[in-house]
Formats: sequence, structure tokens, C-alpha cells
Amino acid sequence: MSDQDNKKPLKLFFWLWAIITVAGVAVSLWAPGYLMPRSMSNNMHLTILTMVVFSVAAAPVAAGVYAASIYMLRTWSYRGDDVPPPAPVIRENNKVVASWLLASTVLTVFLLIWGLGALAVDNSSTGKNPLVVDVTGQQWVWSFSYPGTHVESNQLYLPENREVEFRVTSDDVTHGFWIVNMGVQVDANPGTITTIHTTPNRLGEFTVRCEQFCGLNHSFMDTEGFVVSTQNFNSWLAAQPQRS
Amino acid sequence: MTTTLERNATAQIPKGGGLARRQNFGTAVVAGVVFAYLFWLIAHLTLDSTGRPFGDQVATFTGLGWLIGFWIGIGAFNGPFRWLLGRDHSHADDMYYAGQNMGKARYWKFTTDHKVVGVQYIVVTMVLFGVGGILAMAIRTNLIAPGNHFVNQQVYNSFIAIHGMVMILAMIVAVAGPWGNFVMPIMIGARDMAFPRLNALSLWTLVAAIGLLVTTLAVGGLPVGWVVMDPISNQAGIGMDFFALTIIAFTVSTTVAGVNTITTMMTMRTKGMTLERMPIFTWGVFMAAALGLYAFPYFLVAESFQILDRTSFTSFFVSTGGGTGWLQANLFWLMGHPEVYVILLPAVGALFEIAAVMSRKPVFSYRTAVGSMAGLAGLSALVWAHHMFTSGWAPTLGGPFMLTTEIISIPTGLFFLVLIGTLWRGHIWMKLPTIWLFGFMANFIIAGITGIYLSDIPLDDQLHGTMFVTAHFHYVFVGSVLFGAIAALAFWYPKVTGRYLNEYLGRISFWFVFVGVQVTFLAMFVSGLRGMPRRYASYSIIFEHTNFASTIGAYTIMIGMIILGVALVTSWNKGEPSGPNPWQANSLEWMVPTPPPLENFEVQPVITEDPYNFDKEMVRR
Ligand SMILES: [Cu+2]
Ligand SMILES: [Cu+2]
Repeated sequence: MSDQDNKKPLKLFFWLWAIITVAGVAVSLWAPGYLMPRSMSNNMHLTILTMVVFSVAAAPVAAGVYAASIYMLRTWSYRGDDVPPPAPVIRENNKVVASWLLASTVLTVFLLIWGLGALAVDNSSTGKNPLVVDVTGQQWVWSFSYPGTHVESNQLYLPENREVEFRVTSDDVTHGFWIVNMGVQVDANPGTITTIHTTPNRLGEFTVRCEQFCGLNHSFMDTEGFVVSTQNFNSWLAAQPQRS
Repeated sequence: MTTTLERNATAQIPKGGGLARRQNFGTAVVAGVVFAYLFWLIAHLTLDSTGRPFGDQVATFTGLGWLIGFWIGIGAFNGPFRWLLGRDHSHADDMYYAGQNMGKARYWKFTTDHKVVGVQYIVVTMVLFGVGGILAMAIRTNLIAPGNHFVNQQVYNSFIAIHGMVMILAMIVAVAGPWGNFVMPIMIGARDMAFPRLNALSLWTLVAAIGLLVTTLAVGGLPVGWVVMDPISNQAGIGMDFFALTIIAFTVSTTVAGVNTITTMMTMRTKGMTLERMPIFTWGVFMAAALGLYAFPYFLVAESFQILDRTSFTSFFVSTGGGTGWLQANLFWLMGHPEVYVILLPAVGALFEIAAVMSRKPVFSYRTAVGSMAGLAGLSALVWAHHMFTSGWAPTLGGPFMLTTEIISIPTGLFFLVLIGTLWRGHIWMKLPTIWLFGFMANFIIAGITGIYLSDIPLDDQLHGTMFVTAHFHYVFVGSVLFGAIAALAFWYPKVTGRYLNEYLGRISFWFVFVGVQVTFLAMFVSGLRGMPRRYASYSIIFEHTNFASTIGAYTIMIGMIILGVALVTSWNKGEPSGPNPWQANSLEWMVPTPPPLENFEVQPVITEDPYNFDKEMVRR
């Protein structure tokens, strides 16, 4: 190759790209499950899985940019104080543009298909006898009531393996009802009822937080909840003070 | 070659003109305060003082008084006023307003020379970054440890809103303000903007709006978040009225600037400056101006409605009166998403320009560069509801909005193609602009990928409203746009001052900011993944370590920015002289002396090819 072309062997680039991709994939497989809250519902399971899939898909792309940057810095950087000589004139390369477009389109279509499919699963309701919970946000507490029982509580008890339908509203400003361990959230708006559903599938404690800014004590608008067995759930309901 | 206007100035300020010749920023502030007081007085004397809206009505009138007084005091109405009296500006008047032979004083005046306006924008941008940065440090200091109360919680809540809005303004003007005004007209061979007085009007309206926004902190603050959603915004005091007026004034400013920019580029290009020969940066400015014209009026409408709701018992956003907060949210995000690209496109255009000049190669696939910017601008109008996936509004539209949002990654990916394609096989001159360009690429890929996560509804159902979102858009704004803005500053600084921005300080600054960004915002991603919501004043012990890291990272960014500020100020008069064309570029702004004279060109230039033929000896090098 003459210096005029300024072409250099690409081996270094491919090695960099491969190493960064492998590292990225490794992190992608490990991090979501490790960093995100313990999964306690079907939705959260899907959330973490999607996080892994998107990260794995993104790893080679990010690696491409990093590898190209490092490679260009190593291969073509010019550190003189005077202006560098002219470089080869490359105004167009239709093949490169077309393959770049094709690759990014394929990737986007994949993400879209995954996303739309996951969305359908996410929103799907089994339709079988869901437990209804009325959720009301007010500055700055959550309250939960169970229609048909006169039970009202500031802690959220849910039975395992039964679909729950949350009907969410607010007494004052907009709040964001978010079950951190279940991958579901929806705004609580005054004068409107919004719904979400999920099926808790793991026993234990979880956290409810407000994720919409709602004034002075927004940071403290959280509460704990428990997924319990159906039997324990019924005895908890029965033990609650009845509000008429 | 480097004759300066200052040196030419032999104190021949044209005489006559009376009061109008004494107007400057000082008289504007005085007139603003006087009018605010007058309007306050009139409101008190005439309005019914019983009932809740009284305070808001008075505040609205007072704020309007400030704006009108400021405009009058700076001299914004002198032209129309004299025209009405049948005494239009004389040539001497026009020269006076252009700042001829006036030295430093012109920077404090309603000056029409586009280069003066450009420098004024540099100062405005620095002030905004300063204010927003101090607020950011207060926020991060408050979050250094769980249960820390560095600032009172109510004040903290105002700080997050004002930090947000101030920084958004800073980002909007960071590239388009200084360089869209200073270099863009020269780049296309124009002697000034199409409407020089409107140019000054847009700058000073922005200054007046910033005054209102900062005053908000003194009148009860804005403890409702910068998105000022309804109904929470109703719980804010008169700071909210000032905020709404800020936005109305700001929209006037951007609209005037947008019309001016587009008209200039459509009608004032010199002979031979075809659309395909325009330096690529000017395309970025053009797209941003057009997009801003489309987007910002939504914000004006939203804030006008909020003022009416607060003062006049309308109920556009009040659910008990038949309105809905969702309307406000829609209007806000119809502005809010395109706004991100109004911010991004000038920076990307500047980076394309820098990549070409610094690697001594033409922009790779000019058509792709322009097309990707246009595609992004167009698509950005169709994605606003992705901010409302979890609001409960119109769940049916979730799929379609997810589709449009994810398609955006295609034109965004083309930005990388153009940048890498331009640098590839070049002779990449490692100077300050190039260093910040590489920093941009490293950060922008993270910004882009995390944006795709958030566009996916099942993921957004977990990540929305968390620190993950905050980290994502800070990678966009701090990691990408700020890096682009600093690259542009380092690139065109010699054209303004005749001196290089200090290379050594600039490099130290780069490493502080670059490392600081990674530490701050990577840790913030983890806070969000672990479940920490945004806009928290206080948090539980499980978020301790990542927040500590973010705070330390933020201090690191601050140190870097202070170093950059020192470099910017000290290089202005004492930097290493650069000559008129330090990067040996071919576009027109480098062909004129530094600093460029009034009206830029002695002889109107004629263009025969685009500015990227670095292999040929240019005629006027
Ligand atoms: Cu809240
Ligand atoms: Cu958006």
C-alpha cells in the first residue's frame, strides 16, 4: 500500500472488536440479574430477560465504536504542531453505507419484534378470576383496599400465583405506583382509574415506591408488601380490622 | 492580517441620537425593575384581592412588566418606534447599532452585528452552565449519603426543577447560539443575518427570560420538577407563574431566532453556495432551527394554558373542570422530545465539520450526513408519547410509539458512520477539538443504547421514573452535547479571539470531565437498576455506594469545567496567537481576517466547490 492510500492492516481492529464484544456479552449476561431487584412476578422475569437480550445485542455495536475509536487513535493519529498533509479523498462508498443501513435496520427490526412480542406477553391477562386491589395514592402514602372485603391497609399483601389487577387512582396529585420487584408501574391520577396486572410468583417481601414526583415527601412515599400463600393471605384478610 | 476592530477604534462613536445611544444592559435591568414595580402596583390597585388567584394574577402582571420594561430598556423597540414616528434609522444609526468603533461596550448593548451576538451567546451559555452547575453540585452534595440534609427538602425540590430548566436552556444555546450566530453567516458568505435586529431581540429576550427563571428561586421556588406536570404544578406558588412566563419569553426568543436562521440560510448564501456546498455544520443549525420552530410553540401553548388555569379559572388541565393533566403532558412532550434534537443537531453538525477538517478528508457521504440529520428531525416529531408509556394514557398507542422511537436508532447510527467514515484513513490531527470529538463518540454510544432500553415498553415499565432515565439523558446532554459544544468552542475560539484555547488546560479538563462523566453516570445507572426513583431528596441505605460514587464523579466534572472556564478566560487575551486560519480549513469563516470585520467580506466571495478539498491548494489560503 502506498502512503497516499493511508491503508493499514485491520487485524488490530478485529481483535479489539472481538475482545470488547466478549467482555460486553459477559457483563450483559451477568449484570441485569445481579443488579436489578429480586424478581417476584412474571413481568419482572420478562423485564430482566429483555435487559439481557438487548444488552447482548448492543454489545457488538458498542464494541464496534470503541474498537474503531481506539484503532483510529493508534493507527492514524497525527501529533505534530503543523497541519497534517492531505488525506485520501473518500467522499462516498455506497457499499459501506448500504451495509451499515442494512445492519442497523436488521438490528432495529429484531429489537422491535422482541419488544412488541414482550409487550403482548406483558399486557396479557389470564382472565381467570383475578384478585382486584384498589390502590390510592395521596401525599405521601399508599393505601390498598380489597373490594368486597372492607379491608384497607397501607401494606400490600398479595397471594402467590394468582393474577392481580390493580386499579390505581389518586386523591390529590399524580403519583407513580411502582412495584419494584414486579416490573409494573402506572401513574395514579386524580379522577381517573388506571389499571395494570401482574402475577406474583415468588414468596417474600417486596417494595412499593412512588416514581412520579409528587411534592415535599416524594422520597418517602414507599411501603413494603408481601407475597404469601393463598391460605396465609385469607387468614391475613380475616384478621384485618373491618372498615365499613 | 490580524487587525482587530478594537485597535481600529479611534473613539469615533457617532454623536447624536440622544437617549437611545445610552441604552445598555444596565438600563434594561433598571427599566425592567421599574416596569415590574409599576405593573405590580397597577395589579394591586385594580384587581380583586380576595380569593386565591390574586397572588398569581399579580405575579403574572409583575413578570410581564419585567419583560416589557427590559425590552424597552435595552432598546428593542427603538426601531419600530422611530419608524412609526416617520424617522427611520439613518445609516449612522445602523452603524451605531451594529457596534461600529464601539469597543467592548457593544457587548452590553442591543447590537445587531451577528458576531457580537455570537460572543454574547458564549457569555450567556457560560452563565447558564455556571448557575446550573452550582445547583447540580448542591443536588449531588445532598445525595452524598443517605439521609443527608445539605439543603432543606423544599429547597432541594426547587433546585432539581431549576437545575433542569437552566441546563436545558444552556444546552439549547450551547452550540447554536455562539456558532450559529458567529460563524454560520460567514460560512455561507452572508454579510450578516437576514434580520439583524431580530437577532439582537432573540438574544436579549433570552437574557430577560433567564432573569425571570432565576428570580423564581427567590419567590418561593418551583418545587414541582422541571416538567411542571399538572396537577402538581398547582401546588407551587408564584414561582410557577414566573416559570410559565420564562417559557413564553423563551419561545419568543427561539422562534425569532429560528425564523432568522432559516431566512438567512435560504436567501443570503453567496454566489455559488449551493445547498450541497454548504459546510455541514450549517445543515445542523438549519435542522435545529426548523425543528425548534415546530416544537417550542407547544411549550408556549402549555404554559399559556397553565397561566390561564392559575389566574383566570380556566380548566385546561384541571380534571374537576373537565380538563386533564394528560393534555399538559402531551403538549410538554410534543415539545420535549424534538427539543432533544434541537439541542443535539448543531453539536453533531459541528462534529462532522471538525472531523473533516482535523483529519484532512472530506465529510464521508455528505448526503448521508444531511439525510440522517433530516431523518432524525422528522422522526423526532413522532415519538413524544414514549415519555408517557407508564402514565396510563392511551395504552393502545404503546406499540406504535415504540416503533417510531426505535426507528430513530437508524439515523442515529448513521451519525457514527459519518464520523468514523470521515476519520477513517485520515491524518487525524490530535488537537483539542479532536480529543473532545473522540470523547463524544465514546459517550454517545452509551447514551444511544440506554435510550433503546427505555423505548421498550416492558423495560420502561421498570426503568421509567428511575435514576436510570436520569443517567441516560445526562449521557446525552453532558456526555454528548457538552462534549460536542466544547469541541466546537475549541475549534472556533481562534476565529473569535485570534488565539488558541489553551491546549494544556483543555486536555487536563478533558480527562477530568471524561472520567467524571463515567463515574457519575455509570453509578447512576446502577442506582436506577437497583430501584432508586428520580428526584429523590433522600434515599435508603441500599443506594448508598452508587450515590457516593456519583457525587464524587460530579465533583470531578466540576473541577474539569472550572479548569476549562479558566482556560477560556485566560486564553482570551493571553493565549497563543493563532492567525486567521489555524486549522488550515477551507470554509469561508477561515478566509476572512480574525476577528472578522463588520459585514465580514471586503469582496463578496464566489464559491466553486465545497470546502473539503484539502488536497488542493486553495486560492486564498
Ligand atoms: Cu412521588
Ligand atoms: Cu423522548
